[in-house]
Amino acid sequence: MTQPDIILKAEDIHKSFGNVEVLKGITLEARNHDVISILGSSGSGKSTFLRCLNFLETPSSGKVTVHGEEILVKNGRPQNARHIEAIRARLGMVFQQFNLWTHRTVLENVMEGPIQVKREARAEARERAETLLKRVGLEDRMQMYPAQLSGGQQQRVAIARALAMEPDAILFDEPTSALDPELVGEVLKVMQDLAAEGRTMIVVTHEMGFAREVSSEVVFLHEGRIAEQGPPEEMFTNPKTEEFRRFIAKAM
Amino acid sequence: MNPLEVLAQYWPRLLDGTLMTIKLTLLGALIAALVSPAFALIRVHASPRAQAPLRLYVSFMRGTPILAQLFLIFYGSGQFRPFLQEWGLWAFFRDPFNCALLAFALNSTAYQTEILRGGILGVPRGEIEAAKAIGMSRIRSLSRVVFPHAYRIAWPALGNEVILLMKASALASVVTVFDVMGRTRQIFSKTFDFSVYLWAALIYLCITAVFVLLWRQAERRLSRHIDARHKTQSTGQHFKDTRA
Repeated sequence: MTQPDIILKAEDIHKSFGNVEVLKGITLEARNHDVISILGSSGSGKSTFLRCLNFLETPSSGKVTVHGEEILVKNGRPQNARHIEAIRARLGMVFQQFNLWTHRTVLENVMEGPIQVKREARAEARERAETLLKRVGLEDRMQMYPAQLSGGQQQRVAIARALAMEPDAILFDEPTSALDPELVGEVLKVMQDLAAEGRTMIVVTHEMGFAREVSSEVVFLHEGRIAEQGPPEEMFTNPKTEEFRRFIAKAM
Repeated sequence: MNPLEVLAQYWPRLLDGTLMTIKLTLLGALIAALVSPAFALIRVHASPRAQAPLRLYVSFMRGTPILAQLFLIFYGSGQFRPFLQEWGLWAFFRDPFNCALLAFALNSTAYQTEILRGGILGVPRGEIEAAKAIGMSRIRSLSRVVFPHAYRIAWPALGNEVILLMKASALASVVTVFDVMGRTRQIFSKTFDFSVYLWAALIYLCITAVFVLLWRQAERRLSRHIDARHKTQSTGQHFKDTRA
């Protein structure tokens, strides 16, 4: 193949809330094995952009393509809305607030997607769920309910839940921002392992360490636009824009 | 006659009335339970204009005495007998039991709709988002996430509503349905012994007690995920919690 597999492509994404234009035309491509960190100060639109990728937020206009399935949005209306569920099933999502289903056990949380969305057999879903929970170090918590777990443990369950769908890419929306500082490490460790095994990930984060060490590409959003974009080492050692310079100065 | 003699002589009738009361209450509550989820969703999601008729219905049912609603159906249907006969509905309305059932079902539907609406509004947003994000269809996220939470939240209030309905069902005796109260009045008119009303009160009390017990059992099942947390905390086997 001449061109590496493009897993996800977002083209010219615009999003307005009322009269406020939060995203002013963002284009981004994720190839297989990419780990893209999206940075930006609060209000830069980074979470909104991530949520536009799986249509938790409907863009005002733009185009999202996931593995050949394409959704074009004009005037806030997706042209082929029927593909939205298919796209979501292909993109895992990990939320800031974990958003586990609190009325189901840890194991049930991880089995839910494969059974309900992919119509997998129970036994098969259960086996994979157990393997995944073992991988994130929670094999002894499988029969517990989310409320019995720490934030870090809940977030690891949420990652296992996303993995259970065998997604083409995983979206992380500030996955460590709601955690106590001492619990951040265990979640980042899991994410690092995923990156190392070649998972495609798009991560909105404030963790400069993660962005710098783990990601293959860094995107810096400023006021709804991509202000700067490139390999992390280059961007962090030699920022090109004044905004990004100021941003890392503040964060470090 | 002493109270026990009354009971000894008339217990078959009272039992018959008890079964009628239970039948009337459960059927009414059940019909309402089948209809109210759809209505509650309309109340939560439909535009103000689209749900205006539903709101009018709910206001009417909650704002007028259930006895008035019962009379409206029972005597009203008599007024419109020719029409109802033409539509083939007279066979239904001729039976006072059906009239009472319809009145109670309509009334309870209004209350259950509002109770369930509150439950739906209390479902954690994030969990619905998680269901969407994993690719669940709207129907599936309703059945797997929204309603399980909504019913857990609404459960105690729904139980209350069924108890109120059970007691209101005594009104059916006014339109010649022989429920507990109907049988009691019948017995009283023969014996003029007020103690039969005492027995009636006791029967209602027993029905309520049994119902509350069963309802609480169900509530415990629905709340397993919440009890579990308390259990962990009280046994000191508490896993680090970010909010602690």
